[in-house]
Amino acid sequence: MSDDISKRCCLANESEPTVTRSTVPMWIIVVTLVLLFFGGLYFDSHGDWGNQKLYKPFTSAEQLETFQPKSGAAAVMAQGRASYETVCGICHGSDGMGKPGQAPALAGSEWVTTKGVNRLAHIPLAGISGPLQVKGQNWNLAMAAMGAALPDENLAAALTYIRSSWGNQAGEVTADEVRNIRAAIGNSPPMLSREQLLALPE
Amino acid sequence: MKNGIAIVFAAVVALGASWCGLVLAPTLQLGGAKLTTVLNSPDTYPLQRTGEASLGLQIYRANGCAACHTEQVRQDGIQAELMLTALGNYQPEDFKAFTESLFVQQALEPVTNALAINLKGWNGSLPFVFLTTSDKEIADKINQSINVPGVKSELRIVATGADLARGWGPRRSVAADYLYDQPVQLGRLRAGPDLANIGVRQPDANWQLLHLYAPKAVVPNSTMPSFKYLFAVRKIGAALAPEALKLNAEFAPAAGYEVVPTAAAKELVAYLLSLRANVPLYEAPFTPVTTKP
Ligand code: HEC
Ligand code: HEC
Repeated sequence: MSDDISKRCCLANESEPTVTRSTVPMWIIVVTLVLLFFGGLYFDSHGDWGNQKLYKPFTSAEQLETFQPKSGAAAVMAQGRASYETVCGICHGSDGMGKPGQAPALAGSEWVTTKGVNRLAHIPLAGISGPLQVKGQNWNLAMAAMGAALPDENLAAALTYIRSSWGNQAGEVTADEVRNIRAAIGNSPPMLSREQLLALPE
Repeated sequence: MKNGIAIVFAAVVALGASWCGLVLAPTLQLGGAKLTTVLNSPDTYPLQRTGEASLGLQIYRANGCAACHTEQVRQDGIQAELMLTALGNYQPEDFKAFTESLFVQQALEPVTNALAINLKGWNGSLPFVFLTTSDKEIADKINQSINVPGVKSELRIVATGADLARGWGPRRSVAADYLYDQPVQLGRLRAGPDLANIGVRQPDANWQLLHLYAPKAVVPNSTMPSFKYLFAVRKIGAALAPEALKLNAEFAPAAGYEVVPTAAAKELVAYLLSLRANVPLYEAPFTPVTTKP
């Protein structure tokens, strides 16, 4: 058997095949370099050099940045929610239901769903202390000016968020409104009582 | 072998280069992927799967679902849409005249030409998509210039592409979507629809169970094979089990028998329902349609 095969295939070509060296044709080198060059250009202009956050259809970090939604009602609500949850949510709860013995509810609160925003905006800017009724419940605690440290835009967004979440349906609060009230009451104003607040226009 | 060393060297270089390209570079780029947050929100993304859903991933894998289904949504482009929502005291005709005078001053010819065409066909109904452009800066500029008292407009970011037009998701898939998948079930063939967002599209667990047991029971012309062996057909005990499938006559078992999902079927469905890649991320921004949470 094996003799057959060796006869058929190998006798005619007894010598060991050898490899000879010859230069690579010039055109292959040129084509490779051209391809590498265009590949490099494409890589440079599309990937931002391995930026983790960059996907098609974006081609640069700057372009991605310009497409971040920064305006519109959705963005305000999102920003408001972020501010609310980092500053106010600790006490009032991320569901706006408040916490027994710690802070009253904002969901359905008559202090939150006022027609105007003047009185409401005074609460986080000046603070509130003493006896207080919220949704028929009596409270007697104090809240420092929790919103005073927030920039106008963020506080306005947070107030807009609490006025239109958890079933609340009241209008938005603009950064200008917050700015004006902040300017009117000055730096570190005294905490307000229920009576002082009720004396303010809504 | 005269050139043994050269051949070994060439083999090492060739394998090394492909290892660098296929293993090292992706690891350097995405190996450090971490939990991210949803755009403009403190919520982290993605959510960790429940134990049941993580087991379901293995069932998905074992049954070769990835042979017919992908879990990757592709996106071709991104657009800014300027939507007019209120006109205040303007009448539509006045508003057209007002914008035309504005755009002449702004010298944004190509865009304003497209805009003029849009405005011509507008009968004054609101909300009205005023402008669609891939140039966000121009959209921003126009948004600002029409920002006069009473007029309200909203700039929306919309991802575009064939997969998105099919309703397979609001944005492309990105690495963060797969953070907890081990192994990732990207798939490469679409005999059936993409499943990256099946938990959003079809959140009803009963539908999913029926579909796995008898695809034709819920999708009449379905060509998906049935996965009957993930279910047990057993004699009805004292009463029908609450989890028994509600099948119509054509697919129901013999009288006195009921079909109940095994643990594997429940895990698989928990996994399918956990497939939700529908929130905006920094790397894949878009404006969600529901404005209020
Ligand atoms: C340290 C806990 C705490 C934080 C943080 C906090 N509050 Fe309060 N808040 C209170 C307490 C306590 C009261 C009740 C005060 C009283 O009894 O006089 C209150 C009352 C209120 C009220 C009036 C009553 C009601 O429920 O409608 C509003 C409105 C309010 N807070 C808004 C905010 C906003 C907005 C923030 C974030 C900027 C915030 N709070 C952060 C503890 C807190
Ligand atoms: C032979 C190819 C094939 C395999 C294997 C397969 N499917 Fe399908 N699948 C399809 C087809 C075709 C459709 C579209 C028709 C339909 O909805 O039944 C589909 C549809 C679906 C749908 C509904 C999608 C929608 O958008 O409504 C789900 C969910 C699904 N498959 C899950 C699975 C799971 C889980 C497995 C693995 C256990 C699997 N499929 C295996 C072909 C397949």
